[in-house]
Amino acid sequence: MLATRENPALNAAADLLALLHDTTTEPREDSQLEALTLAVSADLPVLLWGEPGIGKTAALNHLADSLNLPLTTVIASVHEPSDFSGLPVVGDDPAVQGVPMAPPDWAVQLVRAGQGLLFLDELSTAPPAVQAALLRLVLERRVGTLRLPPGVRIVAAANPRSSAADGWELSPPLANRFVHLQWTHDHDVVVRGLGGTWPRAALPRLDPRRLRESVAFARRSVCELLAARPGLVHQLPKSDARRGGPWPSPRSWEMALRLIAFATAAGTSRDVLSMLVRGAVGDGPGLELLASMDRMDLPDPETLLANPASAVLPERGDLRQTVLDGVVAAVRKRPDQSRWDAAWALLVLALETGVPDLVVVPATTLAALRRDDWQVPAAIDRLAGVVSLSQRADRVVGGVR
Amino acid sequence: MSMDEEKLFAARLHAVRCRPYLATALFALHPVESQHVPTMAVDEHWRCYVSPRFVDSMPLAMLAGVWVHEVSHLLRDHHGRGDRYAAEHELTEPGERLRMNIAADCEINDDVFGHGLPCPKDAVLPYKLALPPDLLMEEYLGRFTLGPWTDDWAWLECGSGADGLPRPWDLGPDGAHGLSAHERDAIRFRVAQGINGSPGDVPKGWQRWAEEAFHPPQPWRELLGAALRSAISGSGEDYTYGRPARRAASLPGVVLPSLRRRPPRVCVIVDTSGSVSDTELGSAILEIAAITRALGGRRDHVSVLSCDAAAHVTGPLCQAEGIPLIGGGGTDLRAGFDTALRGSPDAIVALTDGQTPWPGARPPCRTVVGLFNRPRRPEDPDYVPDQPPPWAKVVTVG
Repeated sequence: MLATRENPALNAAADLLALLHDTTTEPREDSQLEALTLAVSADLPVLLWGEPGIGKTAALNHLADSLNLPLTTVIASVHEPSDFSGLPVVGDDPAVQGVPMAPPDWAVQLVRAGQGLLFLDELSTAPPAVQAALLRLVLERRVGTLRLPPGVRIVAAANPRSSAADGWELSPPLANRFVHLQWTHDHDVVVRGLGGTWPRAALPRLDPRRLRESVAFARRSVCELLAARPGLVHQLPKSDARRGGPWPSPRSWEMALRLIAFATAAGTSRDVLSMLVRGAVGDGPGLELLASMDRMDLPDPETLLANPASAVLPERGDLRQTVLDGVVAAVRKRPDQSRWDAAWALLVLALETGVPDLVVVPATTLAALRRDDWQVPAAIDRLAGVVSLSQRADRVVGGVR
Repeated sequence: MSMDEEKLFAARLHAVRCRPYLATALFALHPVESQHVPTMAVDEHWRCYVSPRFVDSMPLAMLAGVWVHEVSHLLRDHHGRGDRYAAEHELTEPGERLRMNIAADCEINDDVFGHGLPCPKDAVLPYKLALPPDLLMEEYLGRFTLGPWTDDWAWLECGSGADGLPRPWDLGPDGAHGLSAHERDAIRFRVAQGINGSPGDVPKGWQRWAEEAFHPPQPWRELLGAALRSAISGSGEDYTYGRPARRAASLPGVVLPSLRRRPPRVCVIVDTSGSVSDTELGSAILEIAAITRALGGRRDHVSVLSCDAAAHVTGPLCQAEGIPLIGGGGTDLRAGFDTALRGSPDAIVALTDGQTPWPGARPPCRTVVGLFNRPRRPEDPDYVPDQPPPWAKVVTVG
């Protein structure tokens, strides 16, 4: 230290380094960072998968800075299992006192601080015994005899198999305890960051008035899917390579449920939620969950039929078609004249606010539902465009054959 | 000049009637009238840019075919795949994007036309490039170059959704009616789910797409590697309390585990009854040697046995190349297993075409079977080989 002060060359170097470290942050839309902060605030262990050097560690440093949490980095691959499960210390009379498992120094400091980010780096190159010891840390938050306080969040990073020189498949029980996020670099973020401005991570703002509603929504979306698809509850992947990734189990569904509740309360976009849910239960089950949530977002056919004048139909063609099909199916289920008229009003609304071709099939089906004593509503004239379009398509079929 | 919208939508209706399994995707496409596109073009946000002149000039049934063609580009993610291919092979020339568009068209056009949708005369089809049908865009890309034979398609333009290169008319991610990444995935997923649910009338190409869209097949090297790594886990470097650590002397009262190195012994049994000079066989052995080495194994702990009706010991794998493989004729891997077990290996890897009897009892070490797909032996067409036993992990190679 003394030498530094006396050495002008080193002094200048220190000044230059300080200038280089002097970067600022800015709020910026970055979906993977948003996903990471949401999972961190939901207190779920996150595992970042990414090529070496892509900026996983740097992202964690920025995250800790912006959340103002102390960061403890533990490189899993150079530690012994006893660093996570505790060192057995044999006392005077083990039969009476037992053998306490002494926690390592970093765990003691974390507990003393009461909050912080625990970053487990290089997880995939940790030997199997270390991975087994990590199970307890990740799930039960215990290190030796110590229990990490609730303010401590766990984030891990691993290199994908293709880029880790030596390494192990992540063991399935450990993989199942994490939310897996694929970490890629965003060209613009890197260029702007090297220019001196990194994106700022902010914890999601949870709306206190929506907490109950969010929990109810999350429970309903997960339960509705799993009730209809019992096979999705637990599926250990068949191939060894996929077992080290996200896969559905009751535990990971619970994580998905928590993520949906947090995302709903924070008003997070579906893109971010999609990343998180797929990282918790795997691609296929995650997409099924999101598809079923999308269906829940659509207006209920009965509500539409009850009050067609104030109905709002979705903009997107495929969703609109699903809604119209649902309306026609509802009329077919319980047919009466007023519902039939309301359905025609909805079809006219669909035609006036959107494209005509997707009205054809519902209109044909609805017309076939007519009973003899029902009056044809006057509004049906406004569907003339649909009829001519349909006839034009019919003529092609005749022409080709 | 305004667009004949009724014709455009009647064509989409016709397309939906001919390809009901693509209805969700077709309805999700948002048409945008544009004077800049020559025909019809899509972007990655599921917008379809349409030239009014093109709509006027095309017969309605052909227009329906174009609808299906454009939506196929999006469903098959040619945008993302084109970008990835360009990054992998460092392709930057604009001509490469035309080549990608042609290759993408080759991939989809064999499913698009027919059954109510007439094929236009100038459509890109693999046979016009003397290429086989039913390949993927990436496979076609490695097999042809631009030249006089592609001049007819020099003005081919399916938009950025087909090759990943942004076009001047694209409205971009912030424009109206664009779909986000999640919405795009959701649509592709719903179409795939619909096809998987009732594959009855769906052409084979689309069925294959639906199966693999969200579960891409993994390359056999990765699968073989994963199987072998899990078979020899437990050997290699790991911590053990079975023996005190050397540092224990400095910490009295504390029990430290020690790091033990136990190089895995792997025995590879090669079925030499089929074609011996098989490059895939060689690369499979190299792969095994590389994995074992990465896990702390030594070369002399990987031994290779060639086996036909009897086992021939080839000895340890001291040179990665030039392993002498002896034999030919009928196979009985049981002899190979017997010989391999004498060396008490941690794992046995059997590389075979599967036309062999298997040991009746489970060997004391884990077994990985690399199964080669070889044509059946012609002399005995009724011969059905035994399935590999359930205790072996089977990886299909090649």
